Amino acid sequence: MTALAIQTNQLTKRFGAFTAVDRLDLSVEQGTVVSLLGPNGAGKTTTVRMLATLLRPDAGRARVGGHDVVTESEQVRRLISLTGQFAALDKNLTARENLVLMARLRGRSRSAARKIADELIERFDAGAFADRLVKSLSGGERRRIDLAAGLIDRPYVLVLDEPTTGLDPRSRQVVWATMRELVTDGVTLLLTTQYLEEADALADRVVLIDRGTEVASGTPAQLKTQVGQQRVDVVAADGEAFERLTGALDGSFDITPLPEHRMVSVAAPDEVADLARVADTVEEAGIAVDEIALRRPTLDDAFLALTGHAPQTEEAQEQEVAA
Amino acid sequence: MSALAARPASPRRGGSPVGFVRDTVLLTARSLRAIPRVPERLLDVTIQPIVFILLFLYVFGSAIHIPGISYANYMFPGIIGQSLAFGVIGAGVATSNDMTEGVIDRFRSMPISRLSIISGQVMGQFCEQVVGMVIVIGLGLALGWNPHLTPGHAIELAALLVFGMLAFTWMGVLFGMLVRSSDAMQGLGFIVIFPLTFLAGTFVPIAGMAAVPRAIAQWDPISALVAAVRQLTEGYHATGSWQLAHPTVAMALWCLVIIAVCAPLALWRFNRKLAS
Repeated sequence: MTALAIQTNQLTKRFGAFTAVDRLDLSVEQGTVVSLLGPNGAGKTTTVRMLATLLRPDAGRARVGGHDVVTESEQVRRLISLTGQFAALDKNLTARENLVLMARLRGRSRSAARKIADELIERFDAGAFADRLVKSLSGGERRRIDLAAGLIDRPYVLVLDEPTTGLDPRSRQVVWATMRELVTDGVTLLLTTQYLEEADALADRVVLIDRGTEVASGTPAQLKTQVGQQRVDVVAADGEAFERLTGALDGSFDITPLPEHRMVSVAAPDEVADLARVADTVEEAGIAVDEIALRRPTLDDAFLALTGHAPQTEEAQEQEVAA
Repeated sequence: MSALAARPASPRRGGSPVGFVRDTVLLTARSLRAIPRVPERLLDVTIQPIVFILLFLYVFGSAIHIPGISYANYMFPGIIGQSLAFGVIGAGVATSNDMTEGVIDRFRSMPISRLSIISGQVMGQFCEQVVGMVIVIGLGLALGWNPHLTPGHAIELAALLVFGMLAFTWMGVLFGMLVRSSDAMQGLGFIVIFPLTFLAGTFVPIAGMAAVPRAIAQWDPISALVAAVRQLTEGYHATGSWQLAHPTVAMALWCLVIIAVCAPLALWRFNRKLAS
């Protein structure tokens, strides 16, 4: 049996009446990349904060590298490195001073700390802004330094909470390249994301979570097969047309209405033949539509099929972070 | 190829006394770097004493006559006590702001002693208070304060002030962790600490106060501090309660009690705060 880097057992966290994480069982094997995928408020951030010993679980257990996050938090903190959604840096220090401070707090001598900071600045392509105060840096620049600060020691488990949310394309490229390199090095990576393409591109296994609990898990390919091969998406011209469209297609097809996009997504196991049948139905009913398209399934579809609602893709922050 | 892969894990384990001192020094240095970069913070600890010096020296002072002592020499020990007490507010406001910074999460998730995070905060605040106090004392000396100090008394005074600032900073750091926001800390400071700095023989003698404020003032720790400073600089003896008759001893005891109560509570609160 492969060793588990992370294992949670009925892990639960409540904020007042709101249950953020609800009896979550999660296991991450050593040396793999697991993505926690879910909409805002699904409990992703709460989960990783409990793993990083920043939040105390209300029930259940969590182990990192075999150590309990509550009773052996010291050991856990030595193994795990968390990079959160908000840059965890001192804004009154420069980027370089932050890295040197974090390295020194991890027990390095002054000269060793400087050397590590230099290496990380180079790796994260941060030379141009390394000596500016963090408070004057852009979000993408801060995030790069934040990630760098998480890599001062090569962590046993690296947890990245929405690492590319809000990043510019260049920063995102730097982050992705670093993640791939770390994975090659054998680091265990737990990644939360709202970007489905990110989970698809990086993860060995995806765990879909919704309302604090796992709704499905598997490789990206497995999840896609759970929702059939292809789909036909029909976008109605207006709200009234959307209502009629839903009525016309319901019954004959396996449909998923998405009112916020005025779209009806139709399972299309027969692919082009289904596209033709959907198009015929729409035309016979005389419904005004903007678009009818056959497309390959995405993790969005998996999410939709398994939770009954669409994942949110806005860059809003998870509400429980404020707690 | 990878620099990351080549690097060994942390050479040191957290939790040892040496590690605690080292982390505290590093975190204190971090706080001190902010002073020149955020000069407003220093303004916070100096502006109020300056306003009160000017107000009492040039506005109210002319109407206050205290037998056997010039008003400047009577008032400046009061100003020192008041500045020290305002340090509670300053440290509280700064702490409630600092604790919401993301960097605290980073420290908490690192293998360092959590007490060192708080003591780094306390030492950083304490150093700001010291700088503020030096400015206030310097201004006092320039504006006519003429303390009569023997070298022995000067050392005793410095030790008392350092001890007092340390204790009051601990108190401020604890308050800063208990309040919901820095605004709440400002409110608490204005409603509780601000009046207590006046009920302390700071600007007028306690003996002349009405019964209720006099009773409070006789046991206000700031009274002990002010009386101690006055006794050391002027040989001026206050009376009215045990602590006023023995102000140096009383102040030292107050400081011990404050630290003994506030430090463990602050650590407990720090461990709880984001964990709940």
